[in-house]
Amino acid sequence: MKIKDLIVTANRNLLRNKLRTALTVMAVFVGAFTLTMTNGLGDGLKDYIETQVKNYEGNNVIFIHKKIELPEGQSKNEPAEYKEQKENEQEFDPNSFAVGLDQIDRLARDFPEVKSVSPDFQIRSEYITLDDGKKYQVQLNALARGVTQKLEAGRQIDGDNQIVLQNDIAKVFSADFQGLIGREVTIGFKGGNPPAMQTLRLTVVGVATKGFMASAFSAIDAATERKIYELQRAGSPDYGRLTTFSFEVAGNDPQVVESVKQRLDKKGFTGETIVDQSKRTYNAIGVFQIGMNMFAFVALLAASFGIINTLVIAVMERTKEIGLQKALGMGQAKVFFLFSLESILIGFWGAVSGIAGAILVGKIGNAWASKYFLESFEGYSLFAFKPAALLTIVAIICLIAFLAGVLPAFRASRLNPIEALRYE
Amino acid sequence: MLKAIELSKTYKSGTDEYRALNGVSVEIADDDCLAIVGKSGSGKSTLMHLLACLDAPTEGRITFDGEDVTTFSNHRLNRFRNEKFGFIFQQFYLNGRDSVIENVVLPLKIRGIGAAERRDKGLEYLRAVGLADKAQKAAKDLSGGEKQRVCIARALAGEPKIIFADEPTGNLDSVTGGMVEETLFRLNREQGIALVIVTHDDELAAKCARRIELRDGEVVAAR
Repeated sequence: MKIKDLIVTANRNLLRNKLRTALTVMAVFVGAFTLTMTNGLGDGLKDYIETQVKNYEGNNVIFIHKKIELPEGQSKNEPAEYKEQKENEQEFDPNSFAVGLDQIDRLARDFPEVKSVSPDFQIRSEYITLDDGKKYQVQLNALARGVTQKLEAGRQIDGDNQIVLQNDIAKVFSADFQGLIGREVTIGFKGGNPPAMQTLRLTVVGVATKGFMASAFSAIDAATERKIYELQRAGSPDYGRLTTFSFEVAGNDPQVVESVKQRLDKKGFTGETIVDQSKRTYNAIGVFQIGMNMFAFVALLAASFGIINTLVIAVMERTKEIGLQKALGMGQAKVFFLFSLESILIGFWGAVSGIAGAILVGKIGNAWASKYFLESFEGYSLFAFKPAALLTIVAIICLIAFLAGVLPAFRASRLNPIEALRYE
Repeated sequence: MLKAIELSKTYKSGTDEYRALNGVSVEIADDDCLAIVGKSGSGKSTLMHLLACLDAPTEGRITFDGEDVTTFSNHRLNRFRNEKFGFIFQQFYLNGRDSVIENVVLPLKIRGIGAAERRDKGLEYLRAVGLADKAQKAAKDLSGGEKQRVCIARALAGEPKIIFADEPTGNLDSVTGGMVEETLFRLNREQGIALVIVTHDDELAAKCARRIELRDGEVVAAR
């Protein structure tokens, strides 16, 4: 029998009992639908993270924090034991993530390939205003040296007293982003002892693109950040003690970056690039996705019993027919293949209809979500359906259906033609 | 053409043995017309199954044009049966929901012949049994006699050397049964297709050129 004839015959056999086939396909539909939805949700999140991460670039910048070895008690929900710090000032405090500025500098000296060091100073700002107009709350932060951000207008920060406005603030200042470039804004922050409101005037050099991460803060130059830090923290016990900092590696060789990361690791620090950080988020979403997909696989497991049941009954009903086909020279392999095809087709139609249903519901869901609770998450679709993922789902479900059909198909293929023809 | 030498068939179930056939030799010539008769349990069906290569003998050999078919691989045996033999059964074994023509071309479909050629041949053989006008009807809507003629067309479609007919008129009244018999004998006469009819109907057996009678697995009479 030709492959084409086998497929046509298998399809016709399924259509002989439309209700039974439809019910079995429905069970697969539920599984395929769930799988497509859960997977689409995860992919939607991944897509979003990807577009957000793309707003920043800097492959040769390593963000670093100190590792604290988890004391044994901590994993057992017991209080961590205090470790005495040695007298030597250069020694890192074993009880804290914090690292002194001088320690950072000493650490950097061990890495000749490091071009620049950017300590991550945490500052608090109160407001921003243009031409003494309305004041808006703002977070200010300097980008690590070597990191650039995507801009909708202007250029990256390249000198002192400069600011790149986040998109939403720029928008309330003016619809004409180009017109904002070169103008001065005033920022307010509390500093000094006792703390009092102070202001600084910064020149707008750029406007950042829209995005969730890019809307968290406006970028200022490092010198201004340091100035504010000094005013806010000088004299406090944690002055000059930071939890994160970054190294900018000279050149653009990923192998050099990798080697710096490895040596940092040996010295008790964790170093990650922007790509590493996004990968971590990616993996977290991946785990979430797998967890969600498990539910779908439970549904598919139930559906595969439906397929087995359908095929066992079909083999019983068609015993005589199988007997005749075998008498007329149809081989075991072809009989097996015919029944396998029937189960695969059940899986296939279930998968295709389930995916179609999921895409339909997903489209409606996306439209609804972007209208209501995702308003501020521009560029985020709740569900993302990717052709490759959808094809994989079809393939997986066809495989599950095939496996479900193996036993009945094997039984059909092993029927003895004489006994099958006499079957009542 | 087909030669069976000292065929025996023993069925085993646990420790019990049942000898269904005991040292039977038969020869079927090119345009033979052979009736195998006997009461139920005489072994006539078993003999037909062995001759038609649907089952393997416990002892003995079957040769076709000098070749020992008992040595054939499964694959070759399937192909051999498909090309050389046609089958007609008392219970028809038609697929009721399929069209008449679909039923007729089944052996060709199994052989792997393309759809267009299958159709032409199927129609040709339906014409030979006088049912060309019923080609598109569902097989279940035919009368008993028509059904058996569709089965003849199906047996013919494979262009076999031998047609094995197991009680071909057993489910038919005498008028329609007569028509089916007439068709079978005409094919034997005009196209030289050998006919092996298993029956307990003495009248039908008498119309065949030769007959062998079985009792308890042995040949008790031959003509």
